[in-house]
Amino acid sequence: MARSRDLTTAVLRFGHMLRAAGMPLTIGEMMDGVRALDAVDLLDRQDVYLALRTTLVARYEEFPIFDRCFETFWRFQAEEGQELEGLTGPGTPAIPEEHAGDSGAEAAQKKVSVALEGWEEQGDDDGEPLEVPGVSEKEILMDQDFSSFPVEDLDEVARLTILIAKRLARRISRRKRPTRRGGVIDMRRSMRANLMKGEIIELRRRERRRRKVRLVLLCDVSGSMDLYSRFLLQFLYALQNVFGRVETFTFSTRLTRVTEHLKGASYRTALARLTEVRDFSGGTRIGESLQEFNARWGSLVDRHTIVLLLSDGWDTGEPDILANEMLTIKRKAGRLIWLNPLLGNPSYEPLTRGMAAALPLVDHFAAAHNLASLRDLAGHLNLR
Amino acid sequence: MRPEIEKIQQMMESADYVTDPAIATSVHLAMTLKKPLLIEGHAGVGKTEIAKVMSRMLHANLIRLQCYEGLDAAQALYEWNYPKQLLHIKLEESTTHSLREKEATIFSEPFLIRRPLLQAISQDGKPPVLLIDEVDRADEEFEAFLLEVLSEFQVTIPEIGTLKATHPPYVILTSNRVRELSDALRRRCLYLWVDFPGFDKEVRIVMRKVPGVNEALARQISRFMESLRSIRLAKVPGVAETLDWAQALASLHADHIDEELVLETLGCVLKDADDVKRFKRELTSSGLKRFVAAEG
Repeated sequence: MARSRDLTTAVLRFGHMLRAAGMPLTIGEMMDGVRALDAVDLLDRQDVYLALRTTLVARYEEFPIFDRCFETFWRFQAEEGQELEGLTGPGTPAIPEEHAGDSGAEAAQKKVSVALEGWEEQGDDDGEPLEVPGVSEKEILMDQDFSSFPVEDLDEVARLTILIAKRLARRISRRKRPTRRGGVIDMRRSMRANLMKGEIIELRRRERRRRKVRLVLLCDVSGSMDLYSRFLLQFLYALQNVFGRVETFTFSTRLTRVTEHLKGASYRTALARLTEVRDFSGGTRIGESLQEFNARWGSLVDRHTIVLLLSDGWDTGEPDILANEMLTIKRKAGRLIWLNPLLGNPSYEPLTRGMAAALPLVDHFAAAHNLASLRDLAGHLNLR
Repeated sequence: MRPEIEKIQQMMESADYVTDPAIATSVHLAMTLKKPLLIEGHAGVGKTEIAKVMSRMLHANLIRLQCYEGLDAAQALYEWNYPKQLLHIKLEESTTHSLREKEATIFSEPFLIRRPLLQAISQDGKPPVLLIDEVDRADEEFEAFLLEVLSEFQVTIPEIGTLKATHPPYVILTSNRVRELSDALRRRCLYLWVDFPGFDKEVRIVMRKVPGVNEALARQISRFMESLRSIRLAKVPGVAETLDWAQALASLHADHIDEELVLETLGCVLKDADDVKRFKRELTSSGLKRFVAAEG
C-alpha cells in the first residue's frame, strides 16, 4: 500500500521534472507510468527506464530530454542510497544542468510568443486593426517594398501582415463552392428517403468530401531573399488554419526542413533564427536544393498540394537540373507558384538562366514584395 | 528483467521475430496496461511485423486496418449492405409484413457489413490484435474519430444499439511519419521507436530468417548494410532489403561477398536510380573494403 503511494509520488516528481524540461505530459500518462512500474522489475535500471520511456514519451524527438532527465533522476535516487524502492527519497532533484542554462532564453522566447498571440486575438476581435496606422499611411504601407522599410518599422509591418492574413483566413474559409452536378450517390440517405416508396426513385447525392489544400513552401534565404521569405512565412502561418497542412523548407546552397521549428507558440523566434542555417559561402543552388527536396520529401507533394517557391532566380547551379526538378514537382503538384520579389520592380525582366528555364513550368508567377501583393496571393491559393 | 518480459522476448523469438528488450517491454506493457501501442520508425524496420508476431504468439486473430487518405468511418467501422437491402425489399414486396417489420429486418445484423474496427470490438472469445497500419496516411478527421473509438471500445449503431467490446483488442498503431500525428493521439498511446537494427541484431535476423546463410556471410551482409546506411541515400534500405538480399545471395550459393556479386544483386538493396549511381561512385573511389571491412 505504502509502496504504491511512494511509487506514485516518485513518478509524479519525475513527471514534473520532464514537464519543466519541456515535455507536455498528461496526468493520464503519469498514472500509466505508475502502473507500468508495477509491471516491471523495480531494481533493474533498464526495466524502469524502458517502462517509463514507453509510457511517458510520445515522440522520437523527446528521447534526448527523457534520457537526460532519467539519468539525473536515477543518479539522485542512487546517491540517496535507496535504489528504487526509494524513488521515495525526499525533495526533488534539480533539473539537469544543460536545461537550467536554457531557461533564461526560454523565458524570453515565451515572452515573444505571448506578444504574438496578443496580435492574433486583436485581429479576430475588433475587425478594424488595419486602420491602426491611419488610412493614408496604410495605403503607403501596402505598396511599399518590404526591403525599403527602415529596420525599426519591420515589427509594425509584420504585425500588419498577420492582421491582413487573419482577415483573409475568415474570407477563405467562408467561401463555398457549388456542388458539381452529380456528386457521389449517397446510398444511405437515398435508402432512407425512399423507404416508403419501396423502390429507389429519388437519388440523394452528396458533395464529394473536399480535402483541405496543403502547402509546401520552399523559401530562398540567401542574401536579400531572407527578408521576403520571412514576410511570406509570417503571412502564410497566420493563414495556416485554412490549409490542411503547411510544410516549410528553406534553402540557399542546401535544403533545410523547418516545419517542426515553426510549430507551436515560439514560431516567431524560430523565424528570427531562420538565417542561422544560412550558408554564407555564397550563391544559391536552387536546382540542387529542389533535387534534394524531391529525393527526400517528394512524398509530401500530391495533387492536393500547392508548391510555392520564393526566390529571385539567381541560381549558381546548372539550369538543366533546375528545369528537371521543377518538372518533377509540376507533374505531381496541384499548382506550382513562383514568387519573385524582384518582379515588383517595373524594370525587372526575368532573364536569368534559371528563371528562363523554370518559367514555362510555373502556373502562377507573382511578386510577394509588399503587403498588397501578399494579399493578392491569397486569391491564388486554391486548386481550381 | 522481469520474467514476464523475458518470456515475451522468448515467445517473440520463437514466433520468428528477433527482438530486443525495448520491443519486448513495450509489448509486455501494452498487454498489461491494455493501452494502444504507437510504433514509429523508418520504413522496413519491421513495425507491422510486431503486430503479426503478437497475434501468432497469442494465437489471437489479427485484424488489420490499412489507412489511406480519405479513409472514413464507413470503411473503417461499419456500413449497411445496400444492394442486399434493396433486393430484400423487392423480394418482400408481395408479403404482408408491416413497414415496421420490414425496416427492422433490413436494419438487422445480417445486413451489416463489419469493417475492421467493428470486427475488433465485437470479437467473441480471445481479444484479437488490431493493427492500424500507417495511421499517418489517414486524415486528421479520421484520427479524431479513431481516438474516440479507442478510448471507449464501444460503438453506437443507431438502428441496432450500442456495441461494447467484451474483450478489448490489443491495439498496435504504426506510423512512417509522413504526417505529424496529433498530440492527443500520441499521448494516449504507449510509444515505441524502432531503429534500424544494430550489427549484432541484424546478424541474428539474417541467420534466423535465411537458412542458407552461414555466420561469416551474415556478418559480411550486416556490415555492408550498416555502412550503406551511413552514406546519404534517398531510400535507405531497411531490414526487408537485407533479407531479400541475403535470400538472393543464398540462392546463388555465395559464401562471401565480392564486388561482382554486389553489383549483380544490387537491385535487392537499392531501389532508387540516383542511389545506385551514388553507391557505384563510392565503390569505384574507395572499393568494396570500405563497406565490408572494419570488422574487429
